[in-house]
Amino acid sequence: MPYYPTRRITILALDPSVRDRGKMLRTQIEIPNEVLDAGPCGHRIHVIDYDSTSDVLHPPIPIPAGVNRDDGLPDDPFENVTDDKALLNSPAFHAWMTYGVIMKTLSRFEFALGRRIGWSFDGHQIQVSPHAFADANAFYSDRAQGLFFGYFPSLDGKRKILSCLSLEVIAHETTHALLDGLRERYMDPSSPQQAGFHEGFADIVALLSVFSAESVVGKMVDLGLPNISSTTIRRSDLTVEKLRSSALLGLAQEMGSEISGIHGQALRRSVTLPPQKDYLTSGYCDESHACGEVLVAAVINAYLAVWIKRLKAIGDESKLDRKRAAEEGAEIADRLLTACIRAIDYCPPTDLQFADFVSAVLTADWELNPKDEKFDIRSSLLQWFREYGINPRSKGTEGRQEGSWDPPPRPAAFKYDRTHFDSMKADENELFRFLWENRAPFKLNDQAFTRVLSVRPCVRLGRDGFVLRETAVEYHQQLKVFARELLSLKIRKPDGMPDDTEVTLYGGNAVIFDEYGHVKYNIGNAIMERGAEQERQSKRLEYLWEHGGFAKGASKMRAFARMHRMRRTDWYRSLAPQKEAEV
Amino acid sequence: MPGKKQKSGPGPSTVTIRMYNVGFGDCFLLTFHYEKTERHMLIDYGSTAAPKNVSGKYMRAVANDIKDQCKGKLDVVVVTHRHRDHISGFSTQGDATGKIIASLNPSHVVQPWTEDPKAKPKALSATTSLYRKGKPAEKAMTSHFLGSLEDMHRIAGAIARFAQSDVLYAGTETRKQLAFLGESNLKNLSAVKNLMAMGKNGEAHYVNAGMKLNSLLPGVAITVLGPPTLKQTESIRTMRAKDPNEFWQFRSFWASQSLAAHAMVAQRGLSLKTTSTGQRKKTPAPNMRWFIGQSRQIHADQTLELVRDLDNVMNNTSVILLFEIGNRKLLFPGDAQIENWSYALQQKKWQDLLKDVNLYKVGHHGSLNATPKSLWRLFRHKGDDSTRNRLETLCSTKAGKHGSTRSGTEVPRKLLVEELEKDSDFHSTERYKTPNKLSNSITIEIS
Repeated sequence: MPYYPTRRITILALDPSVRDRGKMLRTQIEIPNEVLDAGPCGHRIHVIDYDSTSDVLHPPIPIPAGVNRDDGLPDDPFENVTDDKALLNSPAFHAWMTYGVIMKTLSRFEFALGRRIGWSFDGHQIQVSPHAFADANAFYSDRAQGLFFGYFPSLDGKRKILSCLSLEVIAHETTHALLDGLRERYMDPSSPQQAGFHEGFADIVALLSVFSAESVVGKMVDLGLPNISSTTIRRSDLTVEKLRSSALLGLAQEMGSEISGIHGQALRRSVTLPPQKDYLTSGYCDESHACGEVLVAAVINAYLAVWIKRLKAIGDESKLDRKRAAEEGAEIADRLLTACIRAIDYCPPTDLQFADFVSAVLTADWELNPKDEKFDIRSSLLQWFREYGINPRSKGTEGRQEGSWDPPPRPAAFKYDRTHFDSMKADENELFRFLWENRAPFKLNDQAFTRVLSVRPCVRLGRDGFVLRETAVEYHQQLKVFARELLSLKIRKPDGMPDDTEVTLYGGNAVIFDEYGHVKYNIGNAIMERGAEQERQSKRLEYLWEHGGFAKGASKMRAFARMHRMRRTDWYRSLAPQKEAEV
Repeated sequence: MPGKKQKSGPGPSTVTIRMYNVGFGDCFLLTFHYEKTERHMLIDYGSTAAPKNVSGKYMRAVANDIKDQCKGKLDVVVVTHRHRDHISGFSTQGDATGKIIASLNPSHVVQPWTEDPKAKPKALSATTSLYRKGKPAEKAMTSHFLGSLEDMHRIAGAIARFAQSDVLYAGTETRKQLAFLGESNLKNLSAVKNLMAMGKNGEAHYVNAGMKLNSLLPGVAITVLGPPTLKQTESIRTMRAKDPNEFWQFRSFWASQSLAAHAMVAQRGLSLKTTSTGQRKKTPAPNMRWFIGQSRQIHADQTLELVRDLDNVMNNTSVILLFEIGNRKLLFPGDAQIENWSYALQQKKWQDLLKDVNLYKVGHHGSLNATPKSLWRLFRHKGDDSTRNRLETLCSTKAGKHGSTRSGTEVPRKLLVEELEKDSDFHSTERYKTPNKLSNSITIEIS
């Protein structure tokens, strides 16, 4: 019997408070098909509905035969449920939606990166509790190998707000889990930009996932371009500013502040944060979550700009079709999402700055789609990143994409004849030998501890439509020194740091090998080489010292949970100057 | 020179500061010695954990000693904020030490603006707007802020009860912390009412940063450095764009948490319509047990973080008083942390005043974030023990009650204590070795 590869599941595209013609906004997502155990429990996700507030384990959801077939399109268990209340009150729906969105997010990552993606912990199945506790929070814990979604009563006390019924919240949390697997050092204390990146990137993936649903973009069309099909559209209405204040803000307002408030309000911030070129330099970004929101605002505004460009290009002078406008919006979100996820492979593995991410996105999208004729995505991205003061790290060689990474200089100085091509695609030891033999061109620090973090073969679609095999590798270096030794390394010792404080300096690169096993890109930060790196290390230490980064008691889960709480109670903290740590 | 503005007669020649050993808590009696008379000011009177080496009704003994020392009349009572370790002594229940204090007929009662009975806390409803045309409606914001404080009391109450519950799976240490912080943040209604009544009998002062209390004691100029009002708070927010929505987020967060905490206590998770009702009694399948164990730990852990957060907010309603008496300056900041301090520390004129502080009551029992770096840096009279006019620091505390060494949040914080010992004459209630020793006093000469 042939295997049917995908299944469709009905989920809510926006949280239950948003209505479209009186009904909750649904969408159908397509995810990989598999035969599930009760739970649902599949090869990557195990839903365990344990509520620690009441200490109750809700029984696993049984999977009916029609929903569990693999020889044809399985039934979508909620496709024909028209009663909103029935969905809201059905624990089976909660479990399915959680399972579905996590699966969808995972498969988007796998699609964009061209390979299987693991979780950050040692294990294949992430455990998920859709009704984890009574708390206005949701988070990912690597220690517990799980995702936790809280619930809490609505402010009027009439409803229960379930964070597991928000596509945005689930996609956001899943992204934390996936990004942590892809770049394990991004949760290290480093700079506000690196700390803000996790949260900002999770918001970007979550919002673009929401905009990939046509029903959502349709709703935005109604809010921003009312009566689109029946009246003349003034082309002058199609500006980023106008759509931002009507469509995006309208949507943010409809989503209310209850459920979307779990992670602050990324969408609203994208609208209310005016473009300004000094966010990263003015001290505004000293707070990591504020910093992350700047990145989100740039991407979401670029999305709007691309969409508007498309709307201007389609339809005749007087009319634009609502459905067409929505389709275009959803497609653009999907494209942009792929580029952003793919960019992770092109980001340095340690001490990430937004400038690196810009170059990475531009490179990733250029590699995937060099002409970019239909949407002209990259020029909008570049423009909007710049509007928010985020300039690409790399200028980009003449004739290639502006702002993208440069390939290593030719003739390549790498020695290839000491290692085996086949082993290099999978074996960390072989790869390490390659690094070691080439420690001069890789500018490895000979005093530092060097480790290959990952070797990941991937299959991507080439520019010519042919399949392209690449290998994405990340390695890092760490150098442990005492504070008194910093000066001899030309790194400034932070004011007041005792001489015997042990500090760790990080460096590392992402290396992309082409299908011949040659280095195609070598992106990253040497521990120390030039003045720029010494300056980077000095600033990082200064920031960490001032912000208590040498304090004990950090854990990743705590950091995620705390970040979410901070985003909501930020008003209270933001009045404190950040440069205060203990005496 | 703010000192010049004093109109009243000659100032005191000496000031005695009596630091009572109340375990984990604060209680200071300041006696101002004038040529012919004495005046007395009580700053805080509360305890959440009995001191070491002390038996019996220590709080009662403290109250009686206060009564003796001030010879039956208190001039001023200052209650920096409403945490139990600062106000429990004013309670008229239990030990009823509050009745003794009330009998001392304080002429003035000083409390933070957040205690003003005229400002009523507002409950949050989903539709409330706090802004008009993008600008904060100050009055509405104030009552909503007070509403948040009420929510925090409710959450604390729920957490204190949760700490006793058999649904809580937590280690002894976490359980202890939850109970301690939960109870500290309960609303101490009897003490609050007693203070309000005392304020009515005498004169009540609900203060905020910038106010002067120069008429309370002759020759003593008192500047209130905190807490800032919400308007003052807003005025120093220059770094961040002011998004009206941010305050709303803060408000709704605590409101949601309060509701969630209520559900927690009722142990009413979700009533899900499942085929069989929940499986609390049934042993879960082997492939679920590990995750369930993890979930329980995480829940306890998160609850503790939440109560720590609200504990910080309460601390930041603390009154910060700077006394100028002749050429001497004393600083009593309650438990103020950086969010409270930041307004004062940004005022140039106050920075100058703070430089000369001679005596500093260590904020928040020596916790890690109540002595801001930028404040400590200002003090000029720091130095080794050969320093002339060396800074005196007073710390009322008890180790092992608040925070943990493992997470670097222990109170008193080891690093801070080391710094205080190195650069000041450091006095701590933890060093009262004699059994049943009630207090220690320091006398400061005014020239």
